[in-house]
Amino acid sequence: MQTSFTEQQLARPEIRQADGILRTCVHYGFCTATCPTYVLFRDENDSPRGRIDLIRAMLEKGGAPERKTVHHLDRCLSCLSCVTTCAVKVDYTHLIDIARTYIEKHYQRPLGERMLRLMLAKTLPYPRRFAAAMRFAKLVRPFESLLPKRLANLVQLAQREARTEFVSPRVFPAAGARRLRVLLLAGCAQQALDGEINAATIRVLTRHGCEVVIAEGAGCCGALPLHMGREEEGRALARKNVASWARVQDVDAMVVNASGCGTTVKDYGHLLETEDGKRIGAMTRDVTEILESLDLQVKNDKYYRVAYHDACSLQHGQRVMAPPRDLLTKAGFEVVDLPERHFCCGSAGTYNLLQPQIAETLGQRKASHAESLDPDFIAAGNLGCMVQIGRYTKLPVLHTVSLIDWATGGPLPAALRGVNLREPQPKPKAVEVTAGATAPSGDSGFW
Amino acid sequence: MSTMDTFFAATEKALGSGSVNRSEETIRRYGENTMAGGDKRPAGVVYPSSTAQVQAVVRLANQYKTPLYPVSTGQNIGLGSRSAPREGQVVVDLGFKMNRILEIDEKLAFAVVEPGVSYQNLYDELVRRGNKLMLDVTSGPPQGGMIGNALDKGAGYTPYFDHFGFSCGLEIVLGNGDLLRTGDGALDSETLANWHTSKYSFGPILDGIFAQSNYGIVTRMGVWLLPKPPVVRSFHFAFPDDADLEQIVELCRPMKLSNFVPTLFRVSNDLYLCGSEGESVEYAASKGKKSISDEGRKALQKKHGLGAWNLSGAFYGPSMAALDPMIQRVVDHFGQSKKATYIPHEEAGKIPPLQVAINAFSGIPSLGELGLLKWRPGGGNLWFLPGTPMDGKVANEFQTICRGIYEDHGMDYMVMNVCGPRFARGLHVMTFNREDADERARADACYRKMSEAVGKRGVFVGRAPVDYHDFHMQQAMPAYRNACNGIKNALDPENVIAPGRYGIG
Repeated sequence: MQTSFTEQQLARPEIRQADGILRTCVHYGFCTATCPTYVLFRDENDSPRGRIDLIRAMLEKGGAPERKTVHHLDRCLSCLSCVTTCAVKVDYTHLIDIARTYIEKHYQRPLGERMLRLMLAKTLPYPRRFAAAMRFAKLVRPFESLLPKRLANLVQLAQREARTEFVSPRVFPAAGARRLRVLLLAGCAQQALDGEINAATIRVLTRHGCEVVIAEGAGCCGALPLHMGREEEGRALARKNVASWARVQDVDAMVVNASGCGTTVKDYGHLLETEDGKRIGAMTRDVTEILESLDLQVKNDKYYRVAYHDACSLQHGQRVMAPPRDLLTKAGFEVVDLPERHFCCGSAGTYNLLQPQIAETLGQRKASHAESLDPDFIAAGNLGCMVQIGRYTKLPVLHTVSLIDWATGGPLPAALRGVNLREPQPKPKAVEVTAGATAPSGDSGFW
Repeated sequence: MSTMDTFFAATEKALGSGSVNRSEETIRRYGENTMAGGDKRPAGVVYPSSTAQVQAVVRLANQYKTPLYPVSTGQNIGLGSRSAPREGQVVVDLGFKMNRILEIDEKLAFAVVEPGVSYQNLYDELVRRGNKLMLDVTSGPPQGGMIGNALDKGAGYTPYFDHFGFSCGLEIVLGNGDLLRTGDGALDSETLANWHTSKYSFGPILDGIFAQSNYGIVTRMGVWLLPKPPVVRSFHFAFPDDADLEQIVELCRPMKLSNFVPTLFRVSNDLYLCGSEGESVEYAASKGKKSISDEGRKALQKKHGLGAWNLSGAFYGPSMAALDPMIQRVVDHFGQSKKATYIPHEEAGKIPPLQVAINAFSGIPSLGELGLLKWRPGGGNLWFLPGTPMDGKVANEFQTICRGIYEDHGMDYMVMNVCGPRFARGLHVMTFNREDADERARADACYRKMSEAVGKRGVFVGRAPVDYHDFHMQQAMPAYRNACNGIKNALDPENVIAPGRYGIG
């Protein structure tokens, strides 16, 4: 794509970066077919290449963006499905971040929206504030019908049963001989909503010979403010984390169990442009990537059927697709893929709070695909997806690591307590799987 | 109000609100393509949601003399994308709302799909149902439409590679608005037991005239599926020299004539495979005016563990061990060449371009091969698709001719010969910088020169970018052209369906 920035504009680093990215887009159009909003609306401005064009025009023109541009860019989920599909690998990930930051700086949103975004930015990244906000939201539930739609949606989200559990900075020793020493990002909203994820992660890692360190001073990875274009706030949080982690010596890896955060931490090198940032980014692994490198000690004889949902941040952001499936399979579960697995569930950071209608359509679509597989439960590697899908299904939705913990000697996950699971199927005899080919679970009578 | 305005107003009234789109963004994007001749702006886009709505659109097009251009998923990149043969046609986008899998019969192993159903859609559904059946896929975009590909004579690599050949039973809205069912579906009955199981019924076999034509809009198609084998075990051989193609073809032929190897052979040159793994490192220095050097090619071959030519095929069976004798026989057979390096299945899975082949043999849609399109910058892409008889000398002669023409025009020779028993499709890729006028002109000239050169040796193309449809139709004998136009006049007298597509109308 041709661009026409002035030299003065190109002197700004973010414009120079955007220009480089824009020029790589050649409008093949493969991306349109896998973009959730384009598939839903068939509006060219709601497709990746349409948005790329809008971003180009916005940045070239300078000044305040047009309302239409903001409307269509706000509707982008940042799911990065387009990045996976793109034949020329346009770096849409960073382009949309630049655009969101530009909008945040140059566009005056209506007061109500500004307040909502400010509230989210000042609450979600801070677990104790967020836990307090959840308690408050429960109190105002009776008045939900009086609230504006997006606030009402927020209140509804808060009704999910929270398992708040804050993890204090400390070292969790390895059980037996230490094989690895890893940092763990305890996260922010996740601690307020589902503390079991961290607890299960620590249990399963220590059980398999990892010493787990929660560093003093680390907190939100910065993804939530970054998704809203609040780059400086996101960067400040990232800097704080890197400073905290850099103080911890002799570490083999930085482990993240919320894939949205994992994508951001892996990109710290780009965000911070510091050596420490690059080092942390390079050593960051999703918890399933670490567990895959360990010899899983399975104590599970229940062959439950798990519908595995690929969080966009894992499949498109980090390209981690095989490890969760391999681990769940090793752990004794039957793992089944969802149709349209490349599609976002609508969670997308703060998207389901800011674009509730589109998020609802996508959430229902995802839940319906999952249910169509007749699973015992649904697994995902990102809390946001778990909450979002859980709104549209009665099936239990669990974090992958909770299932791995359970299958290797941990307690029954909270999401399964009190749930009447059907009798698990007997595990079939080993089926040979070839590289690239999924073995059939049945056939048409010949094989 | 112009006639076109009246047509759109009437269409929106018939199909409902939101069924017509004439925004500038839409018109611009639907006109985009990757060919050398430039974009072709349509007049607008309509989105029918059912066969009845397609009939309504066609009837209105007849009434208002409006040219239509139906597309399924619009992923035919390199052959036209969603861009019509001529400006000002109305794109009928069937992919938006007509994307239902209408039926899957697991006992008789067939599916029935609408035009918007992609390979990925059907694959997902088959997996969801327990992975009992396998479909044949292309190695192109997973979101490509099955009907669009079959009608354009697209193909894959498994025993069901011939997508039109393994379709069975079409529903078509003819150019005059009539609804036609082919095969056993022609029976005037509410119950049609054999529509998607038998291709041959009473009367002429009409299906064929809807492949690569513009006589109607296909709204439904049956597609046959394979029982999914428990194991797919591939084998691969790398050959060091360009001239080895002759020997490769000679060795492949008996394996296919006897049907010992159930898949087709993918015989790919170095750049076809390595091109998907990175950009040309020599492009910037030569400014796209020269083909890649021999040293550059050797370096790529070494980097990826491949040869000048690379052959892939696969067996299906109940277990890896059960296929050992077959693999041994193939290794012995190709070992006769003394030049082949064997790459076993397990090793090939670690070489991304060969993993693409494994996926294709396994009926798994994958994105890997699309990386070819970034070999040169600027988004130009044409596919030149002739074929050769499975005769080593002839295949090698065509290689020499086409490689020479590529080099004369400063293009990089990328080709995969997909070999059957008697014929090999030659998938020639041309990537070029569409933003560079000189390179664009050279790509266009290269395409035409190759078409003429192979034409002189008795070879026609199998598929073609839409910009060259008129050109290729002029290569055909007059009686063929007359017959095609005669059928057009009979079924689409007002010439409303895709005028100019395939050089007809």
